[in-house]
Amino acid sequence: MATTNSLRAFAAIAYNEVLLNSKRVAPYLVAALCAGNAVLWWGWGPAVGRGVAHNSDLYIAGVLPPYSFLFLPLYTALMMADPSIRDFREGIDPLIFSKPVSRAEYLLGKFFGNFFVLACCQSAFVVTLFVLQWVPKQGVTTLQETKFLAYPKHFLVFVAISHMFLAAVYFTVGTLTRNAKIVYGLGIAFYPIYIAYQTILLSSLPWRWKLALDPLVMNRGHNGEAFGPNVIRRNAPELLNQLVVVYDTDLIVNRLVMILLTAICLTILYKFFTTTERSGTKEHLSVLNLSTAAQGVYYPDPAMRLDEFARPEAPGSPVAVPEVVTVNEGIRTTLYKLIAAVGVEFRLLFAERSLVVVMPLAIFLSIFEVAFYNIHPDVSQSAAYATNTAKLLLLFLIGISVFYTGEAMHRDREVKIEPVIWSTPVTNTVLLLSKFLATILLMFFLLTAVGLIAILVQLIRGHTPVGISAYMMVYGVVLVPGILFMTAFVVALNVLLRNKYVAYVVVVGIAAGLFYLYSAGHNQWFYNPLLYQLWKYQDLTSATTLAYRLYWLIVAAACLALAHLLFERRST
Amino acid sequence: MLVIKNLIKTYSSGVQALKGINLEIQPGMFGLLGPNGAGKTTLMKILATLLEPDSGTAEMNGLDLINQKAATRKMLGYLPQEFGLYPTLTAAQMLDYFAKLKGVADKKERRSLVDALLEKVNLFAERNRRLGGFSGGMRQRVGIAQALIGNPELLIVDEPTAGLDPEERTRLHNLLAESIGQNTVILLSTHIVSDVSTLCSSFAVIRSGEILAATSPETALARLEGRIWEATLPREQVADPKASGKIISKQIAGGRTRVRMLSENGRPAEPFTAATPTLEDHYFIVVNEI
Repeated sequence: MATTNSLRAFAAIAYNEVLLNSKRVAPYLVAALCAGNAVLWWGWGPAVGRGVAHNSDLYIAGVLPPYSFLFLPLYTALMMADPSIRDFREGIDPLIFSKPVSRAEYLLGKFFGNFFVLACCQSAFVVTLFVLQWVPKQGVTTLQETKFLAYPKHFLVFVAISHMFLAAVYFTVGTLTRNAKIVYGLGIAFYPIYIAYQTILLSSLPWRWKLALDPLVMNRGHNGEAFGPNVIRRNAPELLNQLVVVYDTDLIVNRLVMILLTAICLTILYKFFTTTERSGTKEHLSVLNLSTAAQGVYYPDPAMRLDEFARPEAPGSPVAVPEVVTVNEGIRTTLYKLIAAVGVEFRLLFAERSLVVVMPLAIFLSIFEVAFYNIHPDVSQSAAYATNTAKLLLLFLIGISVFYTGEAMHRDREVKIEPVIWSTPVTNTVLLLSKFLATILLMFFLLTAVGLIAILVQLIRGHTPVGISAYMMVYGVVLVPGILFMTAFVVALNVLLRNKYVAYVVVVGIAAGLFYLYSAGHNQWFYNPLLYQLWKYQDLTSATTLAYRLYWLIVAAACLALAHLLFERRST
Repeated sequence: MLVIKNLIKTYSSGVQALKGINLEIQPGMFGLLGPNGAGKTTLMKILATLLEPDSGTAEMNGLDLINQKAATRKMLGYLPQEFGLYPTLTAAQMLDYFAKLKGVADKKERRSLVDALLEKVNLFAERNRRLGGFSGGMRQRVGIAQALIGNPELLIVDEPTAGLDPEERTRLHNLLAESIGQNTVILLSTHIVSDVSTLCSSFAVIRSGEILAATSPETALARLEGRIWEATLPREQVADPKASGKIISKQIAGGRTRVRMLSENGRPAEPFTAATPTLEDHYFIVVNEI
């Protein structure tokens, strides 16, 4: 009877999670991205044009581990970070925990409900590959015999079990810390950690150990490569198409270890999870919902007369609020308010916890190559250092301009301070520019940090003389106009769309489209704001390059003007 | 004086929130009383320049609140029903920021203003504490403090006491009462009848976007004098009290039900006795069209 009740409670919680996820955008987005990934592997993957069938057993089993590595850890972090945090954030926890539900039923229901949704989203990859068996395309080989079982079987072994462990880790961290940002940080940190784990720990081990200790089974095969261009090149496609993947003992042991680790992780969670309220603050930027607006009417004693109501008497010596002079006209006042707003916005941006991960990661990866490898200077050491650091730094700056500008643009609404600020005598210019400038300031901070550390590395490695002007030139001509444009564009987009997630999707879509164009050789200056593949250090001060940058600065100003034009203090 | 004429607002969902509001509000505290969803917050948002009405006008001492938004914001103090504060800032930093946005440029003046406001809302000792750790009542006091910056001529407070404990409510009542200047209009929206009776010199009852009555608490009570009757009845008699009046309210207490009745023609039935009218009687009579 007790087991039946437990199962019922577990099923109810898991089902409710599925229901909740069905009303969120994220699962559909993840599924769409996974399906899109399948289309890319099918139409433009390593087997195309080489006669290897995309529905052969080897191909299906071969693409799944790299698929599992690319992006999926991020999606897993996204989906598993806040299932239980949500309950505490929305204040549903007392309603749930006052019911006869045990901690185990709650945690397992939450975990498996969300993991089921995650697995469904991830399976969009194999579902799409399955459907593509009936889609003809030039260069893509398809075996005539339709495959059915191979897709779910390999998905379960190579993807689902791997991500069950990752999901358990993310879920445990999220539930115990009640802070989704830490989990997102972990999701980003997965890649450097995993690569370091592979290169530092596993690389020196015998291949059986490599396989046994690899959570994503990327090290299959005796030479550590199960599937890829080399395997395809070395073997006849007819042979590869006939191969059937058999799970050997090593793989089975690896998978069992993953399941065991998942169980251990969930046990640790069960041991430390408490349903009681924490005394500390939950998150720095939590939403403050002040008014509970109690339903109904307050009842004083009906026998009480109006004259018996205690009319508040002004105290004998109330604190006098001093009369102040307010100035709300003129450019000087606007500038003054802008500086104040930028200061607050910058402080709020700096309080974002994700920066704890993003900033060091950006600095480390930007200087990684110049710090640990020999770079060959064409013009000067400083020019080579500046050029090298600028490349990866640009990627991070784009990310910051997209995501942190989005955060800044929507923070007031999310924190519910918007009506208060909008009712003050401050111009729209101040409201918009403060967010723009605060993000720019943050990026300048990163840019300066990377530049200074690169100079330090240059000095330590004895690659002197240090030429500050080289850094100034590369960062000033390539990076600064690029980030000014990107941030202005994102500001305009957020004003236009009024939804940061839609803005993210649009920006990522545009970026992907442009990258495709650039890769195909179409990288003209008038749609290439970051000068991708268009600059060399020697040409940076040429009139043409400077004209390109001026053009993008004008476009940035136009974006800000458009944002100002479209911005409305529109309440709902 | 605040004059609102024929204010109409229909949301894109089709909900008609305001159906032609007309009000003339003298300086002092004016209560806007009504159930949830009556249109109080919509009216407040329009007056606070945050929402555009479909038609109608609102003027304060000759200033058009609908079309002269920038000028309106200079004389406005607004405390919304639901609002937040930046949790990573301290109370003093938050108020300092609002003071800057409201145009208090002089640093010394601003500092003494912030200190005085924090003193006034009894948060001076907490001035360097982050707002994220504040209780609901403390945040509400910070909200009041920010609304008072710059001595506003129009102070709009939307359901400020909802969810507060009795002590915090009394404290907030005192703060609002102290804030009444000679030419200040304080517009207090609430669904708590005692807030109005405690604070307001006049009030209006709003329901479904319409003003049902606008008067002063004294006049409202005077009109009910001698017409309110009360009896405590066993539950089985409540459905049919065999009385000639109209039931205003029923309240269960100790297994019996206290019934209040409106009767124009004297005592409605045997167990009923004359009762002292309350503002709540007035509210129920107006809202339920008794």
